[in-house]
Amino acid sequence: MAFGKVLDDKTSARIQRTVASSISRKGVDKKGTAFQMVLLTTLFITMLILVVLIFDVVQGGWEVLTTRLWGFMRGEIGSGTFPERLGVQQGLYGSFWIAVFVAVFAFPIGIGSAIYLEEYSRKNKFSRFIELNIRNLAGVPSIVYGLLGLFLFVEGIPFLTGPNSNGRSATSAGLTLAVLVLPIVIITAQEALRAVPSGLKEGSYGVGATRWETIRYQSLPYAAPGILTGTLLSMSRAIGEAAPLILVGATTGFLGSNPNILDVGSVRERFTAMPIVITEWTQKTNTVNEDVFIPSAAAAIVVLLVFVLLLNIVAIYLRHYFEKKRES
Amino acid sequence: MKPFKSKLLVRLGIVVAAIALVASACGGEDDGNDSNDTQPVATATTPTETSTDVTGSVNISGSSTVEPISVLVAELFSDVAPGVNVNVDGPGTGDGFRLFCAGDADISDASRTIRDAEKEDCEANGVNWIELRVAIDGIAVMTNSGNTAIDCVNFADLYALIGPESTSVNTWAAAAPLAAELGSNTSLPDAGLDIYGPGEESGTFDSFIELVLEDTADERGQDATTRPDYNANADDNLILQGIQSDQGSLGWVGFAFAANASDVKLLEVDGGDGCTEANADTIASGEYPISRSLYIYVNADKAAENPAIRAYVDYYMTQGLDTAVSRVGYVALTEQSKAQTRNNWNNRTIG
Repeated sequence: MAFGKVLDDKTSARIQRTVASSISRKGVDKKGTAFQMVLLTTLFITMLILVVLIFDVVQGGWEVLTTRLWGFMRGEIGSGTFPERLGVQQGLYGSFWIAVFVAVFAFPIGIGSAIYLEEYSRKNKFSRFIELNIRNLAGVPSIVYGLLGLFLFVEGIPFLTGPNSNGRSATSAGLTLAVLVLPIVIITAQEALRAVPSGLKEGSYGVGATRWETIRYQSLPYAAPGILTGTLLSMSRAIGEAAPLILVGATTGFLGSNPNILDVGSVRERFTAMPIVITEWTQKTNTVNEDVFIPSAAAAIVVLLVFVLLLNIVAIYLRHYFEKKRES
Repeated sequence: MKPFKSKLLVRLGIVVAAIALVASACGGEDDGNDSNDTQPVATATTPTETSTDVTGSVNISGSSTVEPISVLVAELFSDVAPGVNVNVDGPGTGDGFRLFCAGDADISDASRTIRDAEKEDCEANGVNWIELRVAIDGIAVMTNSGNTAIDCVNFADLYALIGPESTSVNTWAAAAPLAAELGSNTSLPDAGLDIYGPGEESGTFDSFIELVLEDTADERGQDATTRPDYNANADDNLILQGIQSDQGSLGWVGFAFAANASDVKLLEVDGGDGCTEANADTIASGEYPISRSLYIYVNADKAAENPAIRAYVDYYMTQGLDTAVSRVGYVALTEQSKAQTRNNWNNRTIG
């Protein structure tokens, strides 16, 4: 009764509501709910863009992919006068070997540098200067790496990169893109190594392990999944690059050879790559064979997407493998 | 630990240096061997060889306009001579000549003749070239098919409508005073004017200026260019869409592209000899004034020593001129001009 006099009905109802909602936690965290909605919207926008993009290219390339997929996979770049001969085998060949070069050159060198920087180097002005530069390099436009590749690999060592093609080969392209992704590999590997709990390393030293043993048996296995993710993401980046390849001489019109994808013998010959094939075909909008090129370009985009997806599946599988190994 | 580590580093350094030395030495050898290897069988210079058993490689670079012709010829040629490795690239006429004059490309595709600076470049490197005219590319001047007030324009009209002094002229009639000053008596309609054309990066843009605007602009002390305020587009489809959607439109694109378009009227052009309709015949004969020739330049010395280049150009001179040119949308040469091109090739006419 006493309460009834102190608080009028309205106020006591409000208090009751507040208490009730506070217990059920409904309507209290308004900002939180709003934030969640904003986040959901951003995610939705991202997904929408992706879905529209995939829908668009699949629709555009549907006819090519369903009626002559095998021929398209085996075909070559050309004038479009013979639609049945047009295809992406040469592009896949170039992209595949670029990926191999990136894996062979960028990964060991990049991961090695990261291990040295994280585990061995003294933290002084000089090492900070180096790290700063690596971070800067990761932001350099890819066309600049193209110029570097042209100077170093095409004009510098044509006797190694392509004796018959003036250095304008898949080898030069692969080396150029390996240099391009090197800083990214170093940075991601460093981050992964930095995430190794210091307790793990200290424990290892505590039981008398040497630095080598600590890195070999504790740090690296722990960091392996993270390193792998980073390196394979950089691989996807390398495969999608077109600008540097133009500078190192990717062929746009016609290639005489159409080697099998695993044929190592042609890595020093003239080449092309998937992104080049796609840009070239999408630019054929004002030619008489436009109707052949535009659907083929869409189909080529689908092929490249699948190619990158396969790479990522391998990455995810390897990551799981290393994670399991780490846990056991 | 410390001294051991630095010793290791020194040893590592020595090993690296040694490897580098060996590698560079080997590299040098490689270079020599390879350049010998790549020398095609120089002894086989008899012209009797058939295409089928020829081997070797041909590197072609240059104009992206000519590229489709050379690519189609390469495609057809690969069926008759599977042993020959033809590579075609289209970075542009200027880039093509740079590679050609440096000896990197065997054949240069060109949408214009070689310039003096490029000639000097070639001569400095001892590159002798054979100039072969292979096709003609006409430029169509067009308006909306609903624009019935005008059928024929001359170069003075085009200069007054599109040239550098026409900035902010927005009706056809407003260009009339300048056209009249330049000696035109065309009656330009009093309709809105919207201009659609390719952008500066396009070869068609360059050709249009060179063929239509340059002379008048030079006489009048103006820069040889177009007015800056027109709808520039890299995609010819968008240029056509502009023309189709706009009654008072005026624009220019490559002839093959405009010829097949609907709702577009090709204007007759008077280059001084009366109004001429743009069609395959008038372009081939040179009557239609806005057309340019397309060329290939062959490195004469390389052709002499590499049977693959000879076989490819031989094929170009027959199938290329006769079928490939028109299949990719250009106008084939007249029989007389074809004969002259073949003559230049057969006699290996330098320059």
